[in-house]
Order: sequence, then structure tokens, then C-alpha cells
Amino acid sequence: MNLARTRYLMVWLAAGMVFDLLLAENRSVRVHLGNPRELTGYWLLGVMIFLALFNLRKRLPMLPLGNAATWLTLHAVGGVLAAAIFLLHSGNLWPGGVYEKALAVLSYLTILSGIGGYFIQRIYPRLLTETGIEVIYERIPLRIGELRQKAEALVLECCDQTRFDTLGRHYLDSLQWFFSRPRFTFNHIVGSRRSQQWLKQQDTVVRRYLNDDERKYLDDLSQLAQQKDRIDLHYTLQGAMKRWLLVHVPLTVALMVLSFWHLLVVNVYSL
Amino acid sequence: MSIAHFTRPQRWDSPFDPEMGESDIASLMERPLIAAINAETFPDNTPLAGILQNDTRIVHYKTGDIVVREGDYGNSAFLILGGKLRVFVDDYPDALLGRDTTGKKGFFATISQIWNNSIIPEVRDTEKYGSQTVRSADGRETRSRKRKDSNRVFVQDIPAILDECRTAEMGEDEIFGELAALGRIPRTATIFAETDATLLEIRWQGLREIRRFDDGFRRVIDRRYRQNALLVHLRETKLFAKLDEDVLGKVADATLFETYGTFDWQVSFKRLRSSGKGSVEHEPAIARQGEYADGLLMIRAGFARVSIEYGSTQRTLTYLGAGGTFGLGELYAAWQSGISVSHGASLTALGYVDVLRVPAQVLEEYVFSETASPAVESIAVGTRTLAEDALLEWAVEERFINATKSMLIDLTRCVRCDDCVRACAATHGGNPRFIRHGKTFGHWMVANACMHCTDPVCMIGCPTGAIHRSEIDGTVIINDETCIGCITCATSCPYNNIRMVEIKNRMGVALVDPDSNRPILKATKCDLCYTNPGGPACLRACPHEALSRVDFRRGALAEGDLS
Repeated sequence: MNLARTRYLMVWLAAGMVFDLLLAENRSVRVHLGNPRELTGYWLLGVMIFLALFNLRKRLPMLPLGNAATWLTLHAVGGVLAAAIFLLHSGNLWPGGVYEKALAVLSYLTILSGIGGYFIQRIYPRLLTETGIEVIYERIPLRIGELRQKAEALVLECCDQTRFDTLGRHYLDSLQWFFSRPRFTFNHIVGSRRSQQWLKQQDTVVRRYLNDDERKYLDDLSQLAQQKDRIDLHYTLQGAMKRWLLVHVPLTVALMVLSFWHLLVVNVYSL
Repeated sequence: MSIAHFTRPQRWDSPFDPEMGESDIASLMERPLIAAINAETFPDNTPLAGILQNDTRIVHYKTGDIVVREGDYGNSAFLILGGKLRVFVDDYPDALLGRDTTGKKGFFATISQIWNNSIIPEVRDTEKYGSQTVRSADGRETRSRKRKDSNRVFVQDIPAILDECRTAEMGEDEIFGELAALGRIPRTATIFAETDATLLEIRWQGLREIRRFDDGFRRVIDRRYRQNALLVHLRETKLFAKLDEDVLGKVADATLFETYGTFDWQVSFKRLRSSGKGSVEHEPAIARQGEYADGLLMIRAGFARVSIEYGSTQRTLTYLGAGGTFGLGELYAAWQSGISVSHGASLTALGYVDVLRVPAQVLEEYVFSETASPAVESIAVGTRTLAEDALLEWAVEERFINATKSMLIDLTRCVRCDDCVRACAATHGGNPRFIRHGKTFGHWMVANACMHCTDPVCMIGCPTGAIHRSEIDGTVIINDETCIGCITCATSCPYNNIRMVEIKNRMGVALVDPDSNRPILKATKCDLCYTNPGGPACLRACPHEALSRVDFRRGALAEGDLS
């Protein structure tokens, strides 16, 4: 068993024990006619603060605060523990009261965005590696621009050398759209092969109207289009891996703010 | 097709010092060490006078100037023409050599980075440069860059140094530095000028030619090597470890010294790689497959490729580094059977290789007859597929075998979040010391980060010794205070892992040299966060454990498992 799996196993076991302890304590408070929600509420807040500390750890890399990998394990398992404590605290999936409903919605969205991010980070790196190329995200617009220039130069050369404008017109009609910016974003996100099918179709529909010389240019153009498609995939998947945090983190911040207000209100009016 | 005529470049088109005149040569010829060299034995196209004219230069050192530093790599030997030098016998303060003396950061220093880090990258406290013990070769204290080798570190208080440290005197006509220059090994001592001194600096090419053509000079150099290093080296070799001193002395006397490849191999390597060509066909052969083994080949420095003929080229079986041996199995089999046995594989130089050749008859007489069957590492030929060996082939071809701490990224785990880059920047004044991009093989990427090489060619030629190995853990580091921005290290690095940066003062204003009107540059590279508690920030910052620092060791490569 590798280190990461061992670490996850240990943290899962620890989380299970914590939750077991909390359940027992919850039962005990209930038997003694206490308020178990006070107990679970403070536990939930504590776990949420701990989860939020991961972001702080990322911002202080110069400090010896442990490996980010360990933090991520604690964060992922801690997130599941927080969800379980939340259910224990609220008593059901859909609490009563507008404010509590808003809290529940934010909690579910935060949990879902976290789970989504976890799986994105597990699956997408493999898909990117399978493209056989590696490109830095910030340089992708530049790379696409280079490919577009090459494609247009190729089409112009084809028209110039063969004295036919069939490929040129086809480029203007369809491929120009493809080379202008990253395309098939949604299809790449969901792992669809739509872009490949589209590119093959663009090749097929025009090939029968070309002579041998023009077909050589079309072959080169198709190669450029394939490169562009791989770069599009990088753009989409790398972008998704960066942007999911723009959903998860603001949701977390909103949840924390509402939770503190909830704590304040509960302490002032209910306890 | 039209052609243009162009004279083929010759070896001595770029003399070491264009100002070496006839009177200098005549004066050098009268020096005892050089007068003893038999000029008649040199070929017409490489005369002794030509070597002196083109491969040497006369260098003047001011009192206190450090000539060579312990641990540095150099490609020259020195002959003292005038003045007195001192060699440190014992320990001395590191700061004396212009080296970084920064230790691990304490708790407060670590925490204070949070508010001390400037938002403008590459900001320096320029006041600390005032204390650097660097001056120009003409003695004028300066920070400008006139010539890349014109600045030197100097010892400031010689009487105090002589009081505090044990030193030995060196006088006229003594030669030093030849073993490090020929053997591509670090200098073993630090030598500084006690008085103003004049030295003849002989670059390694000239040194090699003199040693090659003059028996007397070769004997002097070889004797010094035998006395100083060979016996120790042999004693540390498992095969000879049990021999008594007399026999070991006989083995040492019979051992031959050979060098293959060029000292500045990184230049041709870079050219080859940029042209996309393989290098094995261009590597100097040390032993060829099918030739009879006439001696045990021991690698003393550098790397050599073991390969067999395969298809239309060579297939790499393994590689040998310092301490590796080649041909022992064949020699032992030949001794047992009485029939000559040929090499089953070829051995070629990967860059610059320093080889010791122990003749077969010496082994038969003193070693094989006295010891049990030597353990010979067998190389399984034909039992592995090309795919299984592809990683090894790639690592050798790209010279990643030189790495001790290569930054390896598993692309199937890396989420391209750049947390590693940000962590590096946060611990290095706002600018990362590596690029998360590099050569890929399958799902592995070797990022452009300093690999802390076994054979650090970047250290050769640093005029101030700013780039050096940390004595604590061997990490290759740069002392920012003594770096003069000459770009020697950056251009030498075969892997393009050293970057020159334009520095700014604490106000964030770019610094410009008033003489040249050019920005002040500093060399920067990964230093494994050697001052930071907790180790490399990049490693700790990766949440997915995609990043590791790897020693491209042979075993892991053969197993195809780098993680």
C-alpha cells in the first residue's frame, strides 16, 4: 500500500472514531436532557474552521506547517466528517426556517463543489497526460495564435500554389471558427469526443473536391487542427482545475459568515 | 550551386590570452619545469611553443587574492613564476572564500518572511554588497563587470589569517592544480597570494598535450597523482581492498591514466540536443564490443555508457559513474580459461570521463591469483524489452543520470495548480527558482529546476566561487553577495536550469551599472530551500504528491520505477 493510501486510511479511521465519539456524547447529552445541538454545532464550527485553515497553509508555504498532501487528506476526509456532523446537527436534510435553509443550501453546495473538485483533480490529470503534449496554461492563447497563423499561411500557400480556392473557402466557412479560440469546451469537460468527430467531418466533406496537391495541404491542416484540439483540451481541463476553487472558496467564505451569524443569533436568543 | 570559401576553424584560433608575446614564451622556456620538457617530441602541428602561446596565460595576483578554492571545479593548472602563495592546511572560515555562510533560518526569521517579502520580485539589500570581498583583477574594488573572469575574491587580513589558520608556503616554480584540472575533480585545497604574485595558468587542453608528448612531464604528473590520490582510490575499491601495501603499490605503478571526451562537453551536448540528434554515435569510445579486454577500466570521474550493437545503432544497457568498473568479467574468464575473451559490450564517454586502466597481466599476477572469484555485475542482455529499458535510454540520452535531486513531476497526479511555483516564489523573494515545464517521458516530466549534478559543469569557471557546493549536504548553491552576474554558470548548465535576473534595490528601482549602462544581473537557481526549515517548499506545497526530487540512480531506472 502506498503512502497516500495509508494516509487516507489512517485519517478515515481517525474521522470515524471522532464521529463515533460525537455520537456517544450526543446520546449522553440527550439522555441527560441537555441540548445536543449545542454540542454538534460547536463541533461543526470547529471542523469548518480546521477545513478553512488549508487555504491559509497554502498561503504560507515558507513555514514548516507540514505537507500540503497531508493537509489535503485531512481536508477531504474532514469535509465528509463535516457533512455528517451537519446532518446530525440539523436533524434532517432540509431544516425549517429561511435562514437555516440558506445555511443548508450553502453547506450542500460547498460539499458538492468540494466533491466535484476532488474528482476533477483525480480524473483530469490523466486525460491531459494522454494527449501526449504538455503546455503551460498561461501560454495557451499564444500557442493557439501560432497555430492559427500556421493554418492561415498554409491555406494561402495552397491557394497560391494550386490556383484553386476550394480549401481556402472551406477554411473560411468552418475551420476559421475552430482556430479562432478554444472550442468544444463543454464536450471536453464531460469527456466527449465530439471535437474529433467534427474535425473528421470537416476533413471528409472537403477532401472529395480536392486534387492530390491540395490534399497534401489538407493533411497538414488536419494535423494542425489535431494539435489545436489537444491544446483546447488542455485549456478546458486545466481551466476547470483552476476555476473550481473559484466556486468552492467563495461558497466556503459565505458559509462561514452565515455560520458565525447563526452562532451569534443562537447564543443571543436561544441559549 | 554557388559556394563560399571559409577557412576551417583551427584549435588555436581562440588563444587563452591573445596578448601572450614572443618575449613571454622565451622567458617561460627558461623556467626549470618547462626547460626540462623535450620540445623535440612534440608534433609539428602542436609544438611546445604553440601550446605556451595559445594554451597558457600569465596572470598577476594582488596580495590576498584567492587563486583556487577548495571544492571548486577548475580547468587550469598553475605554475608560480614569481611571488609567494599560501595553501590552507586546516579549516578556515567559509566567508573567506566568498561563499554563502547562511545557516538554517530560525523561527522568527522564518515567520518574518510573511511581512518582509517584497511584492516586487528580486529586490536586494544593496548595502550588503558593500562588504563583499570581491575586487577587479587590477586591484580596484568594483561591482562592474568588465570581463567575466576579471573579479576575484580576496583575503582581507592576511596576518590574522596566518595567525589563526595553519598554512604552508609555496614558492617559485611550483606547480599546482593539475590533478583537479586533468581529473575533473574538485580542488582539494585553497591557495591565496601571500605577496603580489605572477602565475602561469595552463588550461587543461595544453596540460593534456604536454603530458601526452613529454614523457618526463607525464611522469611528474603521474607520480604526483599516484602519491596523492591513486593509492587511496585503489584501496577504496572493493577488488583491491584486501591487497597489502606492497602489492597495491605495484598495481598503482602499473595503472594507466586516460581521459575521454572534452572538458566542456555541455557545449557539444547542447548543440546535439537542439538539433534533435542522438549522441551515442558521437561519444568517444573507451572500449568497443568485440575487442579483446586488455585491462580493467575504472571510472574515476564522469559517466560512461555501456551499450551493445542493436539495429543500426547502439542500445544502452546501463551506465557507469565514478567507482564503476568495466571488463572485469571478461578478464577473469580469460584468466581462468587461458583464452582471450572479447568485450560483450561497448563503453563510451558521456561527456568527460577520467578512466584508470589496470593492465590484465597485473590483475592476473596480483589480484586474480590472490582472491576468490570477483563479484561481477552481469548485465542481462536480451531479457528485457525495449519498452522496459526506454526510461534508462532516455535518462542517459538527456544526461539526467547526472542528477542527484532532479525535480520529477508525475503528470497523472499534477493538477497544474502551480502551488509549487508559488511556494518557491514565496521563499525566494517573489520569483520562483524553477519553471514547471521540461522534458517529458510518458507521464514523467523533468522540470527545469537545478538537479544538483554529480558533475556540476556550472561550477567550472565561476570567477568568484559564488556558485559552490554546500559543505553540509552537497547542495549546489549561489552566494548572491559574490555573484558578479557574468552568466558563465548559466551558459554552462547543460539543462538550462540557471536563470539570470535583473535585481532591484529595496525601493524596487532597477539597478544599472553606470559604466556599461546595463542592468545588474544575478544568477539564480533552485537551492533546495537549504536555509528554510522543513526542506524544499515545492515538495511540501504539492497537495497531490506529484512532485519529487529524484536521484536518477541506475537501479530505479532499470526497474522503470522512479517514484
